[in-house]
Amino acid sequence: MRKVFVLGLDSAPPKTLYERYGVDIPVLGSLIDDSRRWLMRTCHPPITIPAWLVMFTGKTPGELGIYGFRHRKPGDVGHTYIINSNFIKHQTLWDTISRAGGRVGIFGVPPTYPPRPVRGFMITDFMTPGPENQYAFPPWLKHELESRFGPLIFDVKFRRHDKERVRDELFQMTRQHLKIIEYLVKRKAWDLFIYVEIGIDRIHHAFWKYFDVSHPRYEENKELSRVIPDYYKLIDEGFKRIRKALPKDTIIVVASDHGVKSMAGAFAVNEWLIKEGYLKLKEKPKKPGTDLTREMIDWDSTIAWGWGGYYSRIFINLKGREPKGIVGKEEFDDVITQLSNDLRRVKGDNGALWRNIVLRPEEIYPEVRGDPPDLMAYFDDLSWRAAGTVGWDTPFLPENDRGPDDAVHDWHGVFTVYDPEGTVSRGMGGEMPIERIADYLRELMLSKS
Amino acid sequence: MPEGGKKGGRSRYTTVSIPVTLYNRIKKLIEGTGFANVSQFVTYVLREVVVEYERAREAEEPFTEEEKEKIIEKLRRLGYI
Repeated sequence: MRKVFVLGLDSAPPKTLYERYGVDIPVLGSLIDDSRRWLMRTCHPPITIPAWLVMFTGKTPGELGIYGFRHRKPGDVGHTYIINSNFIKHQTLWDTISRAGGRVGIFGVPPTYPPRPVRGFMITDFMTPGPENQYAFPPWLKHELESRFGPLIFDVKFRRHDKERVRDELFQMTRQHLKIIEYLVKRKAWDLFIYVEIGIDRIHHAFWKYFDVSHPRYEENKELSRVIPDYYKLIDEGFKRIRKALPKDTIIVVASDHGVKSMAGAFAVNEWLIKEGYLKLKEKPKKPGTDLTREMIDWDSTIAWGWGGYYSRIFINLKGREPKGIVGKEEFDDVITQLSNDLRRVKGDNGALWRNIVLRPEEIYPEVRGDPPDLMAYFDDLSWRAAGTVGWDTPFLPENDRGPDDAVHDWHGVFTVYDPEGTVSRGMGGEMPIERIADYLRELMLSKS
Repeated sequence: MPEGGKKGGRSRYTTVSIPVTLYNRIKKLIEGTGFANVSQFVTYVLREVVVEYERAREAEEPFTEEEKEKIIEKLRRLGYI
C-alpha cells in the first residue's frame, strides 16, 4: 500500500495555487510544479458540505442526501436539521483503506463530527461545537493534543467590522493546526493522512476584496491587502515542516473542495419571488434583512419560497407535502418549468445579462435521497450569492445581507498529485470531476504498491 | 472472555478473539492491579471507549439546542445561510 498525504485547502482556487496570483509559496509551488495538476470540477452545490464528502466517497450529493449544511423536513419553512457525520451512509476513502488493512489519520474533514472509530485516528471538523466536546478518536488523543497545544481551535468567529481580530484569530488557529499535523505525522502510524484546513476559506471570504484587483469593490489597504499573501506564506512554511516529516516515498496530494471568486452582490431571491407573484407576505416587514418565517407568509397565495446562501434552494408550496399547499401534484412539473425559466431570465439591476443556472435535483443526480430542494439556483454563475431575507426595496443588494461580503464560491478548485517515485507523470491533466477523486486515490494507494 | 452463564437461554457473554501476544502483554500489564483477569480489563477499557461515542452516534442530531443555535448563527455569519 502506498502512503498518501492529502493537504486539503478549503476553497483554494487555481488562480492562487496554479497561477500564483498575488501569493509567494515557494515550497508548495515547487511541489505543485512537479505534480500532475487538474482543474478540480466541484459538485452541485459547490459548497464545503457536501463537497469534501463527495470527494472522499465518490458519491454525488443526491446519493449522499446532503445538499448543504442545513436541511428541512417537508412541511417546514426554515431549516430543521444540520448535517453531521451521522448522515454519512456511504463508505469513505478512509473506511476503504482501513478495510484494506491500512491506518488512517483524519483531521478537519467536514462533516466528521461526531467522530467515528477508525483504524488510526480522527480529529473532527469546524462543525464541532467546541473543544469541550469529544472530537477525537481514540478518546485519549484529545488529552494528548490539548496537553501539548492547548484547546483545539475549530473555527473563528466572524465579525464584519473587526477584520484585524478575524485575521489574528485565523492565523492563530492555522498555526495551531499546522503544529498538530506535524506532530501527528511524526508520532503516529498512518498510510492515509487527510488534513483539511478551513482557515483558508475564511481568509478568502473575509479579505478577498483587499486582495483581488478585479473585485468590483477592490480596496487597497496597507494592512488588509497583505492578509491573504501572508496567510499563504504561513501555509507554505507550515507545509515545509510537514513535508520534511513525511516518509520520503509519500504521495502528496493538494486538493480543494471548490474555488473562490469575487462576490458581485447578493440577490434577495424571496424579494424577487414576491415581485413575480410566486410568494406573498401578509405584510412587508418593517426591517430590511428580516428572516422569512411561516407566520409571515400568506400561504393561500404562495407558490414558492427560497433559501439563501452561496446558492438558492427553492421550495414549492406543494399540496399534500406542505401544511397549506396550493400547487397540485398535476401542476407541479408545469410550475417548476415556468419558475425555472423565469429564474433563468433574471437580469442584473442595470439590465446586465446574467448566466443563471437552475437545476432540478432529479436531473443532475443518479439518485435523490434525503430532503432535497425542488430547485437549485445559481445567479450569474455564482457571482451573485442568494439572500433569503426579506423587507428589502430591491432584490439587488450590493453587499451581503449578513456575513462576509468579499467572495463567493467557484466551480474549479485544484487537485494535484506528486509522486516522488514518479509513477504519476507531472503536467496538466485537464479537468477532474470531484466525484472521481475517491476512486483515483483508492487505486493510487492500493494498486500501485 | 469468561465463558457465559446462561439466563433465559441467551448467553450473557460472548467470545472475542485477540492475538495471543496481545493477551500476554495485557496479562503482564495488569499484574498486581485491580483487574483480576484479561477479560475484566478488556471489558473495562472497551466500555470506557464506547461510551464516549455511542450517544452522539445514536442520535440523528448530536447537537444540543444551544449548540445548534450557535452553529446556525455561525453559518449565518459565514454566509452559508
